[in-house]
Amino acid sequence: MTVKTHVSDLEKEISDLEYRLQNAKTRLALASGQEPTEDTYLPLPQDTVPLVPTHALLLLSDSALPLGSFAYSSGLESYLAHNKPLPPRVSPVASFHRFLKLSIASMASTSIPYVLAAYRYPDDLETLDNDMDASTPCVVAQRASIAQGRALIGVWERAFRGTYASGPFLTGPVAARAVKAIEAFSDELKSGVDDPDSLGPKGHFAPLWGIVCLVMGMDARQTAYVFMLNHAKAVLSAAVRASVMGPYQAQAVLASQGLQDLITARIDREWDTPVEDAGQIVPPLDLWVGRHELLYSRIFNS
Amino acid sequence: MPVKSPFEACIAKPGQGNVVLSLLPPSNPSLTTLTYKYPLKLLTRAPGYVPVSSALSCPVSRPVHLYLLTYGGGLLPGDHIDVSITLEPQTRLVVTTPQGSTKIFKTEPNSSTKGRRPGKLSDKSRQTLDVRVGREAALCYLPDPAVPYKDSRYEQVQTFTIDATTTKDSKRSSLCILDWVTQGRTSRGENWDFHLWRGKNEVWALDESGKKKLLLRDSLILDEEIDEGLLEDGDETLIRNGLIRERTRPHGVVGTLILYGPIYEHLSTFFMDRFTSQPRIGARNWSSSAPAAVESPPNYDSKVTFTAARVRAGFVLVKFGASDSETAKDWLGNILREEGTVINEFGEEALFCL
Repeated sequence: MTVKTHVSDLEKEISDLEYRLQNAKTRLALASGQEPTEDTYLPLPQDTVPLVPTHALLLLSDSALPLGSFAYSSGLESYLAHNKPLPPRVSPVASFHRFLKLSIASMASTSIPYVLAAYRYPDDLETLDNDMDASTPCVVAQRASIAQGRALIGVWERAFRGTYASGPFLTGPVAARAVKAIEAFSDELKSGVDDPDSLGPKGHFAPLWGIVCLVMGMDARQTAYVFMLNHAKAVLSAAVRASVMGPYQAQAVLASQGLQDLITARIDREWDTPVEDAGQIVPPLDLWVGRHELLYSRIFNS
Repeated sequence: MPVKSPFEACIAKPGQGNVVLSLLPPSNPSLTTLTYKYPLKLLTRAPGYVPVSSALSCPVSRPVHLYLLTYGGGLLPGDHIDVSITLEPQTRLVVTTPQGSTKIFKTEPNSSTKGRRPGKLSDKSRQTLDVRVGREAALCYLPDPAVPYKDSRYEQVQTFTIDATTTKDSKRSSLCILDWVTQGRTSRGENWDFHLWRGKNEVWALDESGKKKLLLRDSLILDEEIDEGLLEDGDETLIRNGLIRERTRPHGVVGTLILYGPIYEHLSTFFMDRFTSQPRIGARNWSSSAPAAVESPPNYDSKVTFTAARVRAGFVLVKFGASDSETAKDWLGNILREEGTVINEFGEEALFCL
């Protein structure tokens, strides 16, 4: 299985390199003043149709992707309530930055191993979903993860499947197996009883994200990066709505080198972490998220 | 009670221990296996406490106590403790740590074993605990907190396997597992100064066909994330980055209590009620500039930040954080005493560490 995944990775890498080579040749032709051959305004090689990873990337990183992620603050609202009033000389923005850092680190350590495992071993989806459910210690976080995971399955079935489950966009045998795995899982999910005590499939977000990205031809790196960036976006969006900062300030944080470095560093750290070793590295975060239910007034679901 | 001599037929590796608790007819709990090897020491005792009433309908057996001991009351770098415990159906075992907190030591880099350069990370010490709990059997594991010393590295994996061949609720195994870690020796000013503490608690269900399913995994990683390459230079400023301190603030102790099974059903409900009836946060604070709402009259709950959640398969998970281990100890001890399940089913001694 590992070998096959490897092959498809390599295929993707080769086509990416070919694309860049073509691109560079065109630019060279332009720079050296030669008459460019044919239509160089769109230097897209003809044979890249099955592999336009950027398109899927743009779809999946779009904040309009209907996952409902923005209903969750990932504990920010509770964190703000627990740290009120702030000690003197600590500005709300500084306090928020601390939270963002902790939240990203924690999200990476608990979820990235599952995202990558589902990407690498799509056949294990059901086990991964069970183990993720067993490893999420707090019902508030569990609800958030399940709601988004099920929304993702919904988007897949109603929107993406038509294009990506067959035909030229299906990137290889691994992706075909992944499509089957998602379908089997989705059937299982629909036939299961919706009882909190049942141990059937739940539909957690992280493993489903990994497998959907695999089918849509994203590489593993992008899959993890977009997952983390979407989380950061959701937290920042929650910060704007909780009046911690303004929208421009939030965009500035999103664009910042610091955030990029942070995400990259956390992904690097968890790149080879097996799911058995995923775990919480910010213990108070579990408390804040879990105590969200105790807030007198709430604008978010978590 | 027939206890096998630890000196005969001892094939254990250093630090290994093996315990089997069986119920001999008519209802006589007995340790049919008890082996251990340095640096681990296992002691047992049957205090003769007979539970007066029980949540279980089966004949109630007397709880047996097991003490986990290590020479020096803690673990040195490189120590590996590996304890395997089997609770046969209808038995009850209480596990405590009578030496007080489990200390995770660290040897000075320059006084350590051969070939180690100063500045190198110390060896990890490890503890694995593997407990199999049969039908209607009950485990009560309420140890003292772990106290990792400055620069120590430690990893523990506690695996609990329960018998899932029964579907009847009242026949299930029962588990009460406490796992907590503190910031270190506060008297010496230690404040999350260790290098690594990894704690993993897993509960697996084993069905008739021998298939295992993960029911619960609680994993905590407190890692200073030190780059070993930088350590070669021996620069102290690179070693102290305060990452764990930042990630645990404002707590000086964090812990988890796992409850499962018919015996602890009442206790689980008690915790859930206690959690949901906590005062709402920010209830009277209408304006962002006004001072925070007046604190409710001081009680144990106000000093400890905790959550209780009924997660799945009937597990109740209590997570807590407090400023110091005494506060957490008082809080937990008081709740358990007030509720009474542990004392009723296992006797006062089960709360020895609290």
